[in-house]
This record gives sequence, C-alpha cells and structure tokens, in this order.
Amino acid sequence: MPDLTYAQIDQTVLNTLQRPRPRYWVFVALLLGGVLLGAGAWIYQIFIGIGVGGQNIPVAWGTYLINFVFWVGIAHSGTLISAILHLFRAGWRNPIARAAETMTVFAVCCAGLFPFIHLGRVWQVYYMLPLPNQRLLWPNFLSPLMFDVVAISTYLTVSSLFWYTGLLPDLAVVRDRSSGVRHRIFRILSLGWTGAHHQWLNFGRGYLFFAALATPLVISVHSVVSWDFALGIVPGWHTTIFAPYFVAGAIHSGLAMVLTLMIPLRRIFRYEAIITLNVLENVAKTMILTGLIVGLAYGTEYFIAWYSHNAVEWESFRWRAMGEYAYGLYFMLICNVLLPSLFLFRAVRRSIPWLFALSLVVNFGMWWERFVIIVGGVAHDFAPHSWGLYAPRLVEYCIMVGSFSLFFFLFLLFCKHLPSVSMTEIKETANHAG
Amino acid sequence: MPAETCIMGLFKDEGKAAKAILELPAAGFRLRRAHSPVPSHRILEALKLKKSRVGWFTLAGGILGFFTGFALAIFTSVQWNLIASGKPIVSLIPFFIVGFEFTILFSVFGNVIGLLVCARLPDYRGLTAYDPRCSGEHFGLLAACEAGREGELMEFFQKKGGEAKVFA
Repeated sequence: MPDLTYAQIDQTVLNTLQRPRPRYWVFVALLLGGVLLGAGAWIYQIFIGIGVGGQNIPVAWGTYLINFVFWVGIAHSGTLISAILHLFRAGWRNPIARAAETMTVFAVCCAGLFPFIHLGRVWQVYYMLPLPNQRLLWPNFLSPLMFDVVAISTYLTVSSLFWYTGLLPDLAVVRDRSSGVRHRIFRILSLGWTGAHHQWLNFGRGYLFFAALATPLVISVHSVVSWDFALGIVPGWHTTIFAPYFVAGAIHSGLAMVLTLMIPLRRIFRYEAIITLNVLENVAKTMILTGLIVGLAYGTEYFIAWYSHNAVEWESFRWRAMGEYAYGLYFMLICNVLLPSLFLFRAVRRSIPWLFALSLVVNFGMWWERFVIIVGGVAHDFAPHSWGLYAPRLVEYCIMVGSFSLFFFLFLLFCKHLPSVSMTEIKETANHAG
Repeated sequence: MPAETCIMGLFKDEGKAAKAILELPAAGFRLRRAHSPVPSHRILEALKLKKSRVGWFTLAGGILGFFTGFALAIFTSVQWNLIASGKPIVSLIPFFIVGFEFTILFSVFGNVIGLLVCARLPDYRGLTAYDPRCSGEHFGLLAACEAGREGELMEFFQKKGGEAKVFA
C-alpha cells in the first residue's frame, strides 16, 4: 500500500459517503424493481400454491434449494477474509474485509429466504422453531434440516454481530466528521465510542474471540448444508467428502463474488490506493488453491463411484456426464477448475478485465455445480420408473432475479451509507508499515 | 475534594503520546483516559493495564450454550419418543451438532455482553471531554489536575510535543 496518512485514509473513505449522483438512484431503483418482481412472484406462489414452480416428484428441490446453497456459499468467503485471515494476521485482507463481511451478512439474508419460499405454506414456518405445535410435537433434532435451521440462524446472528462490532470505530469517525441528522444517527450507532484505552483493550480481545469463534462456525455451516444431502441415501449425494467439498466450493464462489464486488467498488469510489492490485492478486491466488481443491473433489467423486463397484452410483455419475444435464457438468468443470487455473499466470492475476471476467465465470460455474448436485441426484436415482427431468418456471426465475437484486440492492445501499472500507484497519496496516 | 480540571494533550505522534503517559505521574498529574484512532500497543503497554476480562464472559456463554444445545435436543426428542432411522431416542452424535452451534452462538452472546460491560458501552457521557480529532489522526491524553495547576499541565503537554485543550 502506498504511504497514506491517517487523514488521507479517512478522507478517501468519507468521500464515498457524499450525496450520491442521480445515476446511483437509477441503479437502486432498477434493483428495487427486481426485488419487487421477486416479492410479487413469491406472493403469487403463496396464493396459488407451490405447484406454480417446476419442482415436482422426483425433483422436489429445484432452484430454491440451488439458490439457498449458492448464497450460503457466497457468504463463506466473507468470514474467511474477515475471521480466518485475521487470525493468520494476513494484512492484505484489511482493505476488503469490511465489504466481504457485509457481503456475508447480505448473502445469508438472501439464503435464509429460500427455505421460507420453498416451504410453500410459509405461515407454518414456526414448525422449524423449538416450539410445540398443536399436537404438542416438537422439532426433531435428528433431522439434518433442523441442523440447518440452527446453523444458518447462528451464522446470520454471529456474522451480523461481528460486522457491527468491527464497524464501531468507523462509525465514530463518521460521527466526528458529520453534522445534522447524520451526526445524530452515527452518534447513536457508534454507542459513544471514543477510542479510549479501555475500549481498545476490550475491543481487541473481543474481536479476536469473534474471529476465533467464527472460524469453526463457518466450516460447520457449509458442512451442515452438505449433510442436508449427504445424510440422504440418494446416489451422488450419499458421500463422506461432501462437507470439505462444499466448504471449498463455498469459499471458491465467495472469493469470486468478492472480486465481482470489489473491482467496480474500487473503480467507482477511487479506492485504487487502498484496494491495490496486490490485494486483488492475493484473492486470485487463493482462488487457485480453492479451484484445485474443488477440482480434486470432482475427481474424487468420480473415482469413488467407479471404485465402489456400486452400479447405481456409477450410473448416476455416468448420467451426469452423458445425460440430459451433461452441459451443467461441463459448465462446472470448465468454469470452476479449468478457467480459474489461468490465474496461475501473473499477467492474468494482475489484469483487472481478466480478474472481473473470471470472477463472473466462477460465479456462473458454482451456480451450475449446485444444479448438477441437487437436481442431478434426484432426477436419476435408483429406479428407472422414478426418473424425471426438471426445468424452472417463470415464478422461479422471477424469485431468482429477486434474490440477486436484493443482494446487490442491499450492497449498493451499504456502499453509500456506511464506510465500505475499514478505516481503522487500514490505519493499522499503515501504522505497521510505517 | 478539591475541584479538578480536565486537560487533553493531543499528539500526532504515537511514541510521544506513550512517553507522555509514562512521565505524567512523576509530574504529579493523573491520567484519566488515553484516546487513539487505532489500537496502540505502545500506549497500552505504557498504561500497564491488566488483561481484558472479555474472555471470561465468552467462556461462560460457551459453557451455557453447550449444555443448552444438548438439553434442547434431548428434551425435544424425549417429547417425540420416535425412533428415526434406528437411532436411539437420545442420539448424542447428531445432538453434538446442535450443542456445537449453540456453544458458538452463546459464546458470541457472552463475548458481546463482555465487550459492552468491560468497554463500558454505550457511554455517551464520554463524548463531553473528547476531541473529535482523536478518531482521525491524533492521540489524546485526558489528564486531571487540581485547580490552579492548569498552566503546569498545559505546559507539560506542550513540552512533550502535544497541543493542550482544556475542558470545563
């Protein structure tokens, strides 16, 4: 990072909170339109019934579950960057940690909506809570779906608290450099933070514990999500490698989303001096590793299917490569393993257009990976008479557009109203470098 | 008790602020608070503070969460008394997942409570004797002196390379 004074760091970040241009509100309005489209489609589904979507026997888990897994995955790299790399004292994560944490919170919010949408009778959602129903029956915690409820709600709560705690010193900076209504709002939000010695002493300790607790949590959450599948006996799902496979895939897709968000953010807000090319290159280097792990997992799945001599398992994997959804498999192999290996070349890692293009490619590929796993498993399981194909319908497409719009809508609001880069952590980096 | 005046010394240099902290007691002044825009190890070392107690809150939350998670899973299973997949009614391995998640959740609750209690937040009264530059690039030392010694304290801060600001 070039030598920046504390004042320059503050000014660069505070400049992003100035009154937005009309173009910003146009994007906000477009995304809000997407959110309303998704909400309208969901309301329509509630009134007509879950059958308006394409899910049916045998593929009862369609895009709603694909998007659920996709968004939970996106969330993971935020915690990797904010918590795991914090524990490893990787200073390069400081400029992107705030935006990545925010991405985590919003992605978990989007993910959390899909089980509600998929329920159909959403008003019965309280069946998932530890409350007795009319027949005095309680949820059964032997079910991996109940593990999921506990894990995802814990993840949302922990990542939100982690995010807000990390924001406190920066909220105080905005408070001290604003006036009027904004000053009053930030005065309340910053909880009276003054950077006093007893505050820093306990903040440092608390933040470290947050990171230490979030690290096993993030690994457990996607492991639990993978067990939604792996604990079933469906061929293609019932495998012990699912937990590490899902965690690596989640981080791979999340890092891609970090690049997708950071590259425009860096350009629009003139963050080039803070989010340097080295930072983006380090994300790309990490993606080489996660891409290789994901590639190893794809190969291991096929090897186990062949080595097991289990005819049903082998047929399931043969069909993945040669059946109706074969294109999905090739999308995921090319987009998640082959193309990200271009990051092995330094010129690609240091080229903004390449970084951005490959981040979009990996996002696309990781969505298809979830399609292949979720739909591919149940569409072609044990008995030929129960095989069947699935295609999403308009309602599902609208809800999918709604979820993507909601994510970017929230992120856009965040960028203009809260510090999108942690001033405190950048100052710390500058302090250590100095 | 004699009336006291609070004066803040504002330093741009972390090292000078840390040195001033070490020399304040010898000059006969009491340090109330040290403000900094970043966590400063030099200042924390100069203050010779005891370790934070946040960890005890985190640990208490974790222990409570571990038992709560297991207790909830066992309690609900006993209400069902339904054998699923041939597993015992009280199956400790799957319940460990619930116990684990609750351990993390309650540890974090404990951590947040500990942070709020130990850092004494929210505290809006602290803003009355505070300079907004302390969240920017200044290190602020808030010291108290008896009435009549204000000049000495201001001179002390100026000699140490800082700027003095008096609070009523």
